[in-house]
Amino acid sequence: MHPSLINPAVVGYICAMGLALAYLVQRHELVHRLAVLFMLAGWGAHTVALIVRAVELGAPPLGSLSDAISVGVWVVVVVELMIEQRTGLRVLGAFVLPIVVLLSLKALTTRPASLAPALASAWIWIHIALAMVGFAAFVFNFVGALMYLLQERQLKTKRPGAFYYRLPALQTLDRLTFRTLALGFPFLTVGLLLGAIWARTAWGSALAFDPLAFFSLVAWVIYAGNLAGRAAGGWHGRRAAYFAIFGFAALVLTLSAGLFLPGRHGS
Amino acid sequence: MALFVAGLSHKNAPVALREQLAVEEDKLRELLRDIQADGVLPEVVVLSTCNRVEVYGIAEAPGEARALAFRHLCRHRGLDLGAVEPILYTHLDADAVRHAFRVAASLDSMMIGEPQILGQVKEAFALAQACETVGPQLHTLFSQAFSVAKRVRTETEIARHAVSVSFAAVELAKKIFAGLARRAVLLVGAGKMSELAAKHLVEQGAFPVYVTNRTWARAQDMARALSGTAVPWDEMETALASVDIVVTSTGASEPVVRAAGVARVMQGRRGRPLFFIDIAVPRDVEPGVDALDDVYRYDIDDLKQVVDANLRERAREAQRAETLVDREVGKFVTRQGDVEVIPTIVSLRARLEEIRIGEVKRTLARLPEATPETRAAIDALSSAMVNKILHAPITKLRESSRAGASRSWLEAVHELFGLGRRS
Repeated sequence: MHPSLINPAVVGYICAMGLALAYLVQRHELVHRLAVLFMLAGWGAHTVALIVRAVELGAPPLGSLSDAISVGVWVVVVVELMIEQRTGLRVLGAFVLPIVVLLSLKALTTRPASLAPALASAWIWIHIALAMVGFAAFVFNFVGALMYLLQERQLKTKRPGAFYYRLPALQTLDRLTFRTLALGFPFLTVGLLLGAIWARTAWGSALAFDPLAFFSLVAWVIYAGNLAGRAAGGWHGRRAAYFAIFGFAALVLTLSAGLFLPGRHGS
Repeated sequence: MALFVAGLSHKNAPVALREQLAVEEDKLRELLRDIQADGVLPEVVVLSTCNRVEVYGIAEAPGEARALAFRHLCRHRGLDLGAVEPILYTHLDADAVRHAFRVAASLDSMMIGEPQILGQVKEAFALAQACETVGPQLHTLFSQAFSVAKRVRTETEIARHAVSVSFAAVELAKKIFAGLARRAVLLVGAGKMSELAAKHLVEQGAFPVYVTNRTWARAQDMARALSGTAVPWDEMETALASVDIVVTSTGASEPVVRAAGVARVMQGRRGRPLFFIDIAVPRDVEPGVDALDDVYRYDIDDLKQVVDANLRERAREAQRAETLVDREVGKFVTRQGDVEVIPTIVSLRARLEEIRIGEVKRTLARLPEATPETRAAIDALSSAMVNKILHAPITKLRESSRAGASRSWLEAVHELFGLGRRS
């Protein structure tokens, strides 16, 4: 990543996170507007950084896991702004931005390696791009589930606290987690399939053990179960929310495995 | 001239006294004219609601003006001024501005954030305007008070959360369902309170309404009153399967909605939440339903708890509103202060300039052979002296006006420099 441009992006995201959390506490209109402004500024710098990186590499900036995470973060920020704009769900930033900041700090501090030229093919770019869009959708799936559980707790205990006033209706949140699951799952599925096909051509085996591939398969199984449960078993609400959180935990393990364990996806 | 407000409110006067002093509109017109006729109060507004009776005015001597205004008020109601006077509060200048802003913004209300007071203040102001007892100073004060009240309303959540049980129930429903439009409501039992809750729900778009009652005729009456449909008592469980919100208020001594029945009903609902608002005592819905997923049950005590939480939330928001009001008072006082001292500064400058030019002329007349350089030097010397002399008093006037205490300074300047009476 281009350090002189990614730094302003991260600074923008950190400021936006601080403001979004302040908005959660104080709900001051101006604070929210500033948070959106910083998010937009960070995202602008981020966009330029990605373009510069692509020009430097002469290829999409997806060749290493940290580059790919950076693209994933970029997608998350766009979607965050879009959902806030469309649904007026202003507290969303306070939940999404901490994840954005953590991921972009991680992507920033990891020294990017470019892809071995022998491995480069159109398929791998699509594999990574699809996986990252899926990942972005699951960030919102996770955040929606978290908000659902918080609001459900407030309503069941009958002691309205800070979250009761700030979070939207249970049905709205359940709908958000369902839609993001339905959106993210096809991307994740096709992304994984392409990865497997491509692994076969590159290494001769689709299932050769790789820590990242293993955990992503675990995540896929959890999400598949959740989607099937929702579609056919009438799953919803709390149960679906727990599964969304398990699925995201598996995705976090997937990324950690790629970043910290030796393997084919290794940074 | 000083701005003052004097009066009594729910904070310091018992209702027995407030109701004795409260004045209706017709009397108020008469009263405003009487007060102004005495010539002590060039500007006056009287605010009379069931929670406060207050006189806002501009006067040379606020103490005298206050006594006069309340003498008229007491006379109208046949009260003894001596009984009222000791409990009156009086605020001057910046404190009076703060009081006006806080009253209009509903921060001084018995129920903080209640919306009626702003309308009442507006009416009182309009009435005074119609009686021509409002001048430029009260006009600025009240216009600013209205805009501060509006800001408090939009920028804080002081009036946002329900403080009545039935509205609290509607708000809860909005935290469960994504909007109340086309949510079906079932009323179990008839009662004033459940009817009120149902009306609030319908206002938010809830539809259709079903009513059931042990007495079929009562169910039909209530259904007619709410443009709903009556449901026979023994078909309640069928109705439960299709509705979203249930309001119960029967006089039954045993619960009429059992947990086992609700558990059966929930199986067919595919996760659609069911919200019970149980305002009956003894309770109509078995507390055991709490253990069921997607079922939310609030009895009257739970709803009161929500109202208490809402009140605490309002109090927190009121703190924010107070900060906002403080800031606005500061701005207002600074602006007013400048307006107040500028005429004096102008006439002070004019007075000294007049002296200077006179003296320069006289001196130059005695020095016919002076060179143009000398003349210029004398002119510059006198200008510099005047400016040096003016510097301290002007600075002091500006400072004192910002501190809201310019009156004595203005008077001193007028006396010392012989500027004549202030208008």
